Amino acid sequence: MTEKKISVYRFMSAGCNGCDVQILECLVPRYKLGELGVEVVFTPEEANVLAVTGGINVKGKEELKKAYEKLKPPKLVVAIGNCAITKEIFDKGYPMVGPPDQIVPVNFYVPGCPPRPQAIVSAIAKALGVTLEEKEDYWGTPEGFRGKHEFDSEKCIGCGACAQVCSSDAIEILENGEKRIIKVDYGHCSFCGFCQDECPTQAIKLTREYHLLTDNRKITHVTNEVEMFKCNVCGTYYAPSRQIDWAVERITEKVSIYREYSVNLKKAMEICPNCRREIDNIRKAKKLLAQLSSKAQTRYN
Amino acid sequence: MPEIVQIGPYRPQLVEPERFELLVENGKIIDVNIELGYVHRGIEKLFTTKTYMQNLALAERICGICSGVHTLCYAQTAESVMNVNVPERAKYLRCIYMELERLHSHYLWFGVLAHSLHEHDVFLRIMGEREQVQDLLEYLTGNRMNYLINTIGGVRRDITPQKAEKIRKVLKNMNELSNYLLSLLGENGTFTKKTRGVGILPKEKALNLGAVGPTLRGSGIKSDVRKDDPYAAYGELDFEIVTEKDGDAWAKSLVRARETLESIKIIEQALDNLPDGEIAVKPGEPLEKEEVGRAEAPRGELVYYIRSNGTNIPERVKVRTPSFMNDFTLIEMLRGDTLQNARTIIESIDPCFACTDRVTVVDAKTGKKRRVELK
Repeated sequence: MTEKKISVYRFMSAGCNGCDVQILECLVPRYKLGELGVEVVFTPEEANVLAVTGGINVKGKEELKKAYEKLKPPKLVVAIGNCAITKEIFDKGYPMVGPPDQIVPVNFYVPGCPPRPQAIVSAIAKALGVTLEEKEDYWGTPEGFRGKHEFDSEKCIGCGACAQVCSSDAIEILENGEKRIIKVDYGHCSFCGFCQDECPTQAIKLTREYHLLTDNRKITHVTNEVEMFKCNVCGTYYAPSRQIDWAVERITEKVSIYREYSVNLKKAMEICPNCRREIDNIRKAKKLLAQLSSKAQTRYN
Repeated sequence: MPEIVQIGPYRPQLVEPERFELLVENGKIIDVNIELGYVHRGIEKLFTTKTYMQNLALAERICGICSGVHTLCYAQTAESVMNVNVPERAKYLRCIYMELERLHSHYLWFGVLAHSLHEHDVFLRIMGEREQVQDLLEYLTGNRMNYLINTIGGVRRDITPQKAEKIRKVLKNMNELSNYLLSLLGENGTFTKKTRGVGILPKEKALNLGAVGPTLRGSGIKSDVRKDDPYAAYGELDFEIVTEKDGDAWAKSLVRARETLESIKIIEQALDNLPDGEIAVKPGEPLEKEEVGRAEAPRGELVYYIRSNGTNIPERVKVRTPSFMNDFTLIEMLRGDTLQNARTIIESIDPCFACTDRVTVVDAKTGKKRRVELK
């Protein structure tokens, strides 16, 4: 089909071998790797493409350098799987010195844990500039497949539960005053789906998208922004406004006794924890609430 | 003059990196030195930095091939730390998922064996048919590998009658594949010629070296955690422990081929007798205690040890994987055999270095070194 010939040499250090098995599965006729003019070779001297899997540990580092030097031009390096992109779940492991792009230049990244053989094949095809025909039974993913994340910005309350349960620290909560940014790095994700299970509002979802090939490590993330709320007393941003509404709603829903006080409850929630701690008696609390309601009235008048 | 021949660490014929130094004289292997550590990731330390739930994902990534049984063994041990009773339905579902994993792991091993024996057509047929199991696992769990199906307190996804129908359909095809494998191992079979009498592990040696799984059963010892210490629903299902008495690479292959048929039998039974009810219960607080749990991975007995201090982060987790035990039998099997057979012998224990490399054994020998390609 194509005249370009690429020979791949596979290098693995400090991964779980899941990706290596996926590469082995690519050799099956179903995936048409041969049609693209791709072969898997046994020594780095014969290869012009290096497929790196795993996060590289102390012992693998020198071997990776050696393998890279022996490579024939054009010396392409493809990082396959999330370990080879960010070390994934082994990020904080003491013998880890990777990811590979710290040691050798990496041209392409194929995120996934492990990436499907289809993703690897289409990544190679893309690198070669070939388009493959897409058949549903071959390229399609089944219902419930755990792929790239998607936020429902209407539903997300910015509570950060997803970051708490994340098994590989792939979800970051960044705050810049007015906005709270929830950043999911799918190049770091282990696709366990705990975030999806734990989200109180079903705002985060793992979609069926798996073609995630990129040549830029910095764009492998999905973000969502939520508005922060300013404390009514001291004026500092302390929680997302949607989370406050959600909490008030939940409390009044679960504890019937609070239903008639929901307005005051909301007012109390609109004070940051630091200011709330300064209230030491009922009289002070009442005074503060009265102050706030008059303040609100003047604001709206 | 004996010379040192290195195999590895980076040879694509081995799925994973590991260095073997063979001391060879006149084509015979005199001594063997195994060097591990290329896949060491500091997992046991990482276990003590994550919560019990997060550790499920970590346990799974010890090994990508037998990932399911790692989560099962970890979850079972954590369940005894938390005093959780798993619902009956979850126990049966666990059996189904784990036996599907055993099927794909054994077929993969046969694929790699065919690859290393230069039987390319056989390799393509086995791997091609095996795709059905992989697709099925993806359909059932949401990922081809690292499926994270077991959780503390049960399983995460149910099997509906529609899914069960699909499983049965795949099993029918797999039955054919297993029979094909048996025919390869029969008289005048392709595998038989190349594996008969290679890398013999006598019964006593297998016991003394602490071999586990198919490596041990290939030497004629009846040992299987599923029967010896039944977990999940294995106590209620009818199956046999497969043993062969020859102890060579052929016997080990035959054990695996016959085990795939047993696995198919187990899955069919579990599907027929699937009880109704919940698939998971909410785990409670971890108690202050220590627990040991074991399970039968495709490669043999897997042991987990957890010490809890009552917090949501375990204080110590120790894992003993089957390949770590089987690695040492290699020294015995390689000694006295020829260099040509070395690769088949190494392959015969189904080594999984990702499993083993949590413990580093470093020992280097000085002397003349030469790299050879065993093709």
